[in-house]
Amino acid sequence: MTYRILSHTADSGIEATAPTLPDLIAVLARGMFDLMAPVEPGEGAEQVEIEVTSGSVEDLVVDVLSDLLFESESTDLLFGDFVVAMTGATGARVAARGVPISKTGMTGPPIKAVTYHDLAVEERDDGWYGRVIFDV
Amino acid sequence: MELKRVSDVVWEVPRTGGMRVPGRIFASDELMEVVLEDRSVEQVANVAHLPGIVEASMAMPDIHWGYGFPIGGVAAMRVSDGVVSPGGVGFDICCGVRLIASSFTEADFEARRDTVMGELDRRIPRGPGKGAIAPGSIVEEVLADGAAAAVRHGYGWPDDLDRCEERGTSKGAKPEEISDKALTRGRDQLGSLGAGNHFLEIQVVDEIVDPGAAEAFGLAEGMVVVMIHCGSRGLGHQTCTDHVRLMGDAMRRHGITVPDRQLACVPIGSDEGASYLGAMAAASNFAWANRHILAHETRQAFATAFGVSDTETGMRLVFDVAHNLAKIETHMIDGASTEVCVHRKGATRAFGPGHPDLPEDLQEWGQPVLVPGSMGTASWVLRGMEGNPAFGSAAHGAGRLMSRKKASRQAPGREVRAELEEAGISVRPLSVGLLSEEAPYAYKDVDVVADVCERANLAARVARVRPLGVVKG
Repeated sequence: MTYRILSHTADSGIEATAPTLPDLIAVLARGMFDLMAPVEPGEGAEQVEIEVTSGSVEDLVVDVLSDLLFESESTDLLFGDFVVAMTGATGARVAARGVPISKTGMTGPPIKAVTYHDLAVEERDDGWYGRVIFDV
Repeated sequence: MELKRVSDVVWEVPRTGGMRVPGRIFASDELMEVVLEDRSVEQVANVAHLPGIVEASMAMPDIHWGYGFPIGGVAAMRVSDGVVSPGGVGFDICCGVRLIASSFTEADFEARRDTVMGELDRRIPRGPGKGAIAPGSIVEEVLADGAAAAVRHGYGWPDDLDRCEERGTSKGAKPEEISDKALTRGRDQLGSLGAGNHFLEIQVVDEIVDPGAAEAFGLAEGMVVVMIHCGSRGLGHQTCTDHVRLMGDAMRRHGITVPDRQLACVPIGSDEGASYLGAMAAASNFAWANRHILAHETRQAFATAFGVSDTETGMRLVFDVAHNLAKIETHMIDGASTEVCVHRKGATRAFGPGHPDLPEDLQEWGQPVLVPGSMGTASWVLRGMEGNPAFGSAAHGAGRLMSRKKASRQAPGREVRAELEEAGISVRPLSVGLLSEEAPYAYKDVDVVADVCERANLAARVARVRPLGVVKG
């Protein structure tokens, strides 16, 4: 499971590969929060849970990441550890563990939102591929 | 993608495929060289596919690659059969800039530099997450009434409203269309700057190009002014997220297809269109009020630092204008007066002299247009011109030249800070590391952008201001 930061003039993005869809969601979530401030897995003591059902796997990725941003802003936590369980073909339950922003500080600008621009979530021969652009 | 030169500073993207109108980019050769390095021309062409678009999919001189619309994109859709697209507004609904005059000179500021910067550092909430000047209990009122609600609660002066676009209150706001999630985010952020490219900058007017307009705007050479750039914070981001999510299904029902999903749109007259426009107006009211409250706190900071009353600071509002908004306006299209929904995504409204929406004392001169540069160079005050060829729009900034990643590789934030301090610009960042992404070299030359605006008849130069101090998230 790896992700790569994509170059974008005004905003930022990541692409990632993973063996399964829940793994892909977890690595994309990890990449999104790493853009703001890396939190080591296992470092977070505080946990939130979200459950999302969407119309497609693309929508599921956007909806999960958007809901994690909401949880982050409303709890002032930055997440670094994600456990994703599928609840259907386009549904997922995510447990995210994080640390208060006041403890980590920020190494990148806050992400305002998850966009649909250039969005890709695809099952390939060797696993899953995803690409997401963020508004910063 | 093919580009055809129309004039010195106008380029056309000819119609191909499903484009309903051509693209039109206002840029000099120098700016166009940079434009061609990213995917912004493709985005201009994509916007031209949207139903009901009239004349052209346009882009201002500070155009660069965004998501959906290019940053600097302007598109007008007929109200009768056109669409509204949240992607043409952006996540930071009603992000904008305000400029505040003062009775202080550069010498006055120098004498109290550290005290002023210290007061602002202490008072201005910034960075991610929670932090606000105003209580969350007034957010619902603000969603309905915008800056007027802020004034009722003691933030800012009533006269300021005369110098706000829309008088600081967007018509047609529907607070009931704002989700609980958006409200949760907004309650702890009313009166906060945010981060990224948002800033509060103390500047000095160092060049007057148009003395008549400058006087009418309340500007004089050597005057200290304050520029604030921010928007609707998490409340706006969540509102856009909520409505783009809903529009996927709605587009299928309305039989609309778009070349980029971030261009999701629905007919202006549909239930979904009315819902978005009502929510967008409510979120924009949060943004007008947010800047109003930050300006109030800035006045208090200067009053405390100089030991005077807030009225003695002379900190009157020059103007407050949005650059991320969709508005129903009337423009001449093919010789007929036509109601259109003008989307400005990273583009400033720039109405010319005599426009009925301008306050009486600005009728002769046109609307002040605020074009911030980078924190180490300069910014411009322009004025709207008669015969503006872009539905009364102009640039909204210098425009990024370098990606954040590339900019951050040039030098660490502490070096950027040291260079700015060396140049006489005090910096109060929440995060020193993030300064590198917003370093002066990450942006195009704002003088060139202002010059091209004038040559393209978008907006004329009035005054140049240079930074003395910056407060950033």
